[in-house]
Amino acid sequence: MKKYSILYSSILLFVASLTFAQKDEGIITFERMVHYPKIIARLPYLSQEEKDRVKLTWGSDDEWKEKMKLVFNPTKSLYTYLNDQGESEDGTWAWRNDELIITRDFEKEKKTEIIEMLGKTYIVDDSLHTPNWKVMNQIKDVAGYICMKAVTEDTVKKQKITAWFAGDIPVSAGPERYFGLPGAILELDINEGDVVITATKVEFKKLDKELIMPKAKGKKIKDVDYDALLRNHLKDSIKSQRNPYWAIRY
Amino acid sequence: MKKAITITQAILCLLLLTCGVVFAQNPARINIKGTAIDSSNAVMPFATVMLLTPKDSTLVNFGRTDEKGAFEFKNVKNSSYLLKISSVGYLPFQEEIKPTDKAINDLGNLKLKPIAKELMEVVIKTARAPLSIKGDTIEYNAASFKVPPGSTVEDLLRKLPGVQIDQEGNIKAQGQDVKKVTVDGKQFFGSDPKLATKNLPAEAITKIQVFNDKTEQSKVTGIDDGKKEKTMNLELKESFKKGGFGKATVGVGTDQRAELKGNYNKFDSKQQFAFIGNMNNTNQGGISWDDYQDFKGSSAFNWGDDADFGFSSGRRFIYFGDEDEGVSISPGGGGNRNRGFSSNGSAGLNYNYDTKKTKFTSSYYYNQVRSVMDSYSFRRTFLQNNESFDTKDTSNRTSFNGNHRVNLRFQKEIDSLNTLIVISNSRFTDASNTYGSNQYFYKNNLFRNGTEIDNSGGKNSFGTVNSAIYRHKFKKKGRSFAISAGYNMNQGDANARQVALNNFLNATTVNDAIKNIRQLNTTNSTTNLYKGSLLFVEPLNKKLFLETFYNTSLQSSKVNRDVDSIYIKNEKEAYSIVNELSRNYLNEIRYNRVGTSLRYSSKGLNLSGGLAWQHYNLTGEFINNKLTQVKGIVSRSFSAFAPNVSLNYDLKNNRYLYAEYSVGVQEPNIRDLQPIVDNSNPRYISEGNPDLLPQVTKTVSGGFNKFDPATFINLYINFNFDSYTNQVVYNQTIDENFITRTKPVNISGGWSAGPYLGFGFPLKKTKATMNVNSSIFYSKNLSYINGILNNTNNDNYNIGVRLDLTPLDWFTFYANANFGISNTKYSINSDQNQQVFNNNFGGDMNIKFPKGIYFNTKFNYRVYKNERFGFDQKIPLMNMSVYKVVGKAQKAELRFTAYDIFKRNLGITQSANQNFVSQERVQTLSRYFMLSFTYNMRGVKAQIRKRNSWD
Repeated sequence: MKKYSILYSSILLFVASLTFAQKDEGIITFERMVHYPKIIARLPYLSQEEKDRVKLTWGSDDEWKEKMKLVFNPTKSLYTYLNDQGESEDGTWAWRNDELIITRDFEKEKKTEIIEMLGKTYIVDDSLHTPNWKVMNQIKDVAGYICMKAVTEDTVKKQKITAWFAGDIPVSAGPERYFGLPGAILELDINEGDVVITATKVEFKKLDKELIMPKAKGKKIKDVDYDALLRNHLKDSIKSQRNPYWAIRY
Repeated sequence: MKKAITITQAILCLLLLTCGVVFAQNPARINIKGTAIDSSNAVMPFATVMLLTPKDSTLVNFGRTDEKGAFEFKNVKNSSYLLKISSVGYLPFQEEIKPTDKAINDLGNLKLKPIAKELMEVVIKTARAPLSIKGDTIEYNAASFKVPPGSTVEDLLRKLPGVQIDQEGNIKAQGQDVKKVTVDGKQFFGSDPKLATKNLPAEAITKIQVFNDKTEQSKVTGIDDGKKEKTMNLELKESFKKGGFGKATVGVGTDQRAELKGNYNKFDSKQQFAFIGNMNNTNQGGISWDDYQDFKGSSAFNWGDDADFGFSSGRRFIYFGDEDEGVSISPGGGGNRNRGFSSNGSAGLNYNYDTKKTKFTSSYYYNQVRSVMDSYSFRRTFLQNNESFDTKDTSNRTSFNGNHRVNLRFQKEIDSLNTLIVISNSRFTDASNTYGSNQYFYKNNLFRNGTEIDNSGGKNSFGTVNSAIYRHKFKKKGRSFAISAGYNMNQGDANARQVALNNFLNATTVNDAIKNIRQLNTTNSTTNLYKGSLLFVEPLNKKLFLETFYNTSLQSSKVNRDVDSIYIKNEKEAYSIVNELSRNYLNEIRYNRVGTSLRYSSKGLNLSGGLAWQHYNLTGEFINNKLTQVKGIVSRSFSAFAPNVSLNYDLKNNRYLYAEYSVGVQEPNIRDLQPIVDNSNPRYISEGNPDLLPQVTKTVSGGFNKFDPATFINLYINFNFDSYTNQVVYNQTIDENFITRTKPVNISGGWSAGPYLGFGFPLKKTKATMNVNSSIFYSKNLSYINGILNNTNNDNYNIGVRLDLTPLDWFTFYANANFGISNTKYSINSDQNQQVFNNNFGGDMNIKFPKGIYFNTKFNYRVYKNERFGFDQKIPLMNMSVYKVVGKAQKAELRFTAYDIFKRNLGITQSANQNFVSQERVQTLSRYFMLSFTYNMRGVKAQIRKRNSWD
């Protein structure tokens, strides 16, 4: 715990003292791509034959895309859908998005997350728990920014997480529930390509109301409860041979 | 495990202790500072500085350099770190820091090396390939550089930044000659670097690394001469996404039963090839969903193939054609195990080419069914004035049906705005049949007359369905246009030989008492259908869309039917035409529909309302009597307004609401329109009616679904109501000899309605689940019996309960019970009103024994009761199988199966219809035992649990 607080104070210290600071407030647009055949191939109760069947049938046409946005300034971030509804490519069909608003307050070390999952809306209100990042020796370009690679692990969903963060954007924000690197995360890869969230546009601008969390109704829980809910659901679903990921965000 | 931890812990403690002793004077917390400079000694401001643990690079702390390139970590633990500095355009700097005895550990100037400009520009910026840095090796992903298929590595290298290739194929990297090319780190056929690059396909390479290696000489001598050679390493792809697998089953049983089945798939990233084959004499025809999916691969399901544009409801469906008559392969069928005996054979080949922009699929599939059906049936037909008569029929049918199907589909995304889909499906069928029957007619339990039939026939038919759909999206979001054209053709040549001997006991003359039919029918028919559709979608705003469509079609059918009577002349068969039964016939249906609807779509609420106007023009020209050649002309037109309203609403938390009101107009089918007399069963003569009008069905439907993924509780409620105008029904006229003549006519006033409720919930999560469903169905069917309007009212009530017990990994049990009551009331003959009880009880048990042995048994107990006929039947059916997964690799399965252990599969069906009830008993496949062996290249996985769905 102490380690993290040191980490934060140092971020703030550095960030606050910088004059390059124009590049620390704005909106990053992401494209989130889900590859269902890859996810299905991880279900332990399916035979190889069944996994191959899904792969052969859907494998070449497997990208489910949605647009997300990350609003950030040096002390806060908010991650949610870019549009207030899901849409077909041509915009003629629209559907409801599950509720999802993830906010971080790096200054107060607090977070609030509104997440609809398992048929309910939950509000996770807790202090920040930074993932245990390992920084790797790889660089690549994402949306015009040179990013370094960092990896961590989701111990509840047993997922390998790869993040590419831009040192040029000196904020610790990131997409989904990830954060805590020396730069904004511009690409997040969950489980070797099962889900890939890539920044398509980075826009720096003075923010107004974008960081304000809308009011929401839901059941208030802590990170521990959230993890327990997921653990139970994953266990029960796998035991019942149902795909758990239709009801939770991968 | 525990022990290991304790040992590690002990070692750790020891280490800590030693450290404590050695560095006892070291401060616990220190500051670490330094300055980042580049190769020209200029300071580097705004570089990211990180402290990582040396063991696994875990991020401990981070910061940035200031304007002077300086950084300082204050008050950090005094331990080993990996210091990492990164800045755009530079190779990340790395240095290990040891614990120190100073309070401030000043690392001084730290120099960052720049990344070669071309690497930066081309690899990172243009190809967006990740760069991996391993010391001075820079590695990048070859897959990021696009080269045409069939290119060699040399072609690929030409694309790479900082690499030049001269005429001879010599390679230069960053201005220096590449002396060595290795593949997966190994020298590739001698020292000529060109050998590898000229011969290897670019597709096989995943990564290219360029680095400075020691010279060969220094490697041999072990003395580092300081000289470095530019070396290139090519890393091969693991298997470049190629694969193949297959499965085969062979089974041999008692009673001469046998099964043979197999499939094989081969694929790479763009192409899929599949073979499927099946042969059996165990009544298993058709193709299962799983086999269909394995066979068709990526072309198994296609959206947007419907060329007939119309109202869109917000829910999407994929339709599959009829199993026998359809032109494309349709899964899910599979013959009826309880009807007679059939031998089945099928084989098919499928090829898919599948890229993001172009998709092509082609398949050929042949299937044949040879079946024998011996049946005995009893039927009671109701007449007016509370009269009825009974028919007892012993019949034998044999049939052969062979279908060749060729399916083609091509889809091209011309660009982001234009898409073209072309579909062509065809079927060629060769069929033959024989039908022999002895029918006896009784009234008031007295034998009145009888008929013997001995028919045979054959048919060749060809059907093809073709369509092309072109879709264009305009620049304005939401505005789109689609046009389609279609051509369908059906052509058939049928011949039938009909021999019937009728015996009428109440006749007064010999001529009347025995009526024989000896006829030869040949029917040639051709139907052509030309279609066209247009669709235009205009967004009125972000949520509101105006959709306008137009459909037009012309269907023309031509039939020529010759009926000849057969007689013997000079001991040879001779023929003379029967003019009264021969027909020449031409029929055309012109159809036009124009409609428009307004659709609202926002946040899961889809609401639409619209109106269409449709017009039919039916014209017919037929010659009823070939001798007189008198032409009959039919010309009718019909138009109707068809409104459509639909609602689909996602109510949050997995709850969905939907409702629809629609008016469907269905043109009469060709068979019913043809003024042809079918006397193949001389006791049941049917005739078409060219005057038929399209049937109009008004439908109201709706429902609510809910699924709670946390508790696994689900609820489904829906209802459906149909009412008919101009319903096509079959009028019957039954004469004193009990000869029934039927003819389709239009009638209005019939309807049907039915609500459904389904509810499922776990009794104990993951171990026991209960499902209850209940449905009610009412219907009113109208028809004329001997000119009197008969009103048949049906009401059915059903309740089903299913219990899934999955308590253990090695034991599952699925039980179900269904109770049904159906009441049928006949207005012309209320004495015959009846009540039928239909109850069904089933169980399915799976047990896993040690040593890979599994046991499955299925039991079904059916109770059928009809008190009016004193019918009370109980049929127990039981199948059992034991199987073992064999072999080290678990790829084979040996299975012993016993079908219908009690030998009670009697093939009994009963039904109550508009004016008759019937019971039929068909000799069918009963008890047999089978031993089968399956080999699956991908391994056999025994299934103890039933699949919920195919997720």
